[in-house]
Amino acid sequence: MTSHPYLRAFLAGAFVPTLVLPLMLTGFIVLRLVLDVPFPFERGIIFPMALVPSLWALWNMLWLRSSDRTHLAIGMHGALLPFLLVPGGALLATSLHVLSIGADGVTWFNAVHVPYTWIVPVFLAALAAYYLMWKYVVGFLNRTLGIA
Amino acid sequence: MNTSQIARLKTLLQTALPPTHDGLPSRDLWPDLRRRIAAESEPTARFSIPWFDWALAGGVALVAVAFPAAVPLFFYYL
Repeated sequence: MTSHPYLRAFLAGAFVPTLVLPLMLTGFIVLRLVLDVPFPFERGIIFPMALVPSLWALWNMLWLRSSDRTHLAIGMHGALLPFLLVPGGALLATSLHVLSIGADGVTWFNAVHVPYTWIVPVFLAALAAYYLMWKYVVGFLNRTLGIA
Repeated sequence: MNTSQIARLKTLLQTALPPTHDGLPSRDLWPDLRRRIAAESEPTARFSIPWFDWALAGGVALVAVAFPAAVPLFFYYL
């Protein structure tokens, strides 16, 4: 299996977010259709459903292209992704009125309030989680597909 | 290359390379080789998680418990 390495990198990168998509859809259906929550979640769901899997896939392709020169481990490469995703997602969510910025914190979907004091520990935990997922899951897939 | 040249080359090679010992190894090497093959083919033997990664996973779990409202946000970015 030596052909189309970037296609394989794309598929391996998109794997994890694609597994989460059914969970997102289930949550959306339960909240919007079963519980009749009057917030338009579908506005914000475009980010995790359309953009995040593509970004993961492109990020893995970028790792494949650059790892020979940078020698950056796949886990460290994955841990850099939140630096792109978090501001991008917040910007998109703000423009779609999914995220509102207040004096003491931000509120997602008119329901989840995140005080500013939480942002640093939560962001660090996100970096750690991304590091582990990229090291163990994406790294395993890359090895299985013969590109690492 | 004629026969005498080949013979000379053979002599030169024999003098240049150290002689090999024809004696058998002191013990049977086959069990070692079998153990090595078995260890390489067994996935659990190769898969080990370093303590640092366990610590990171513990930290993530701790943050999820301390800030449960952040868990759906994490999935939003996944």
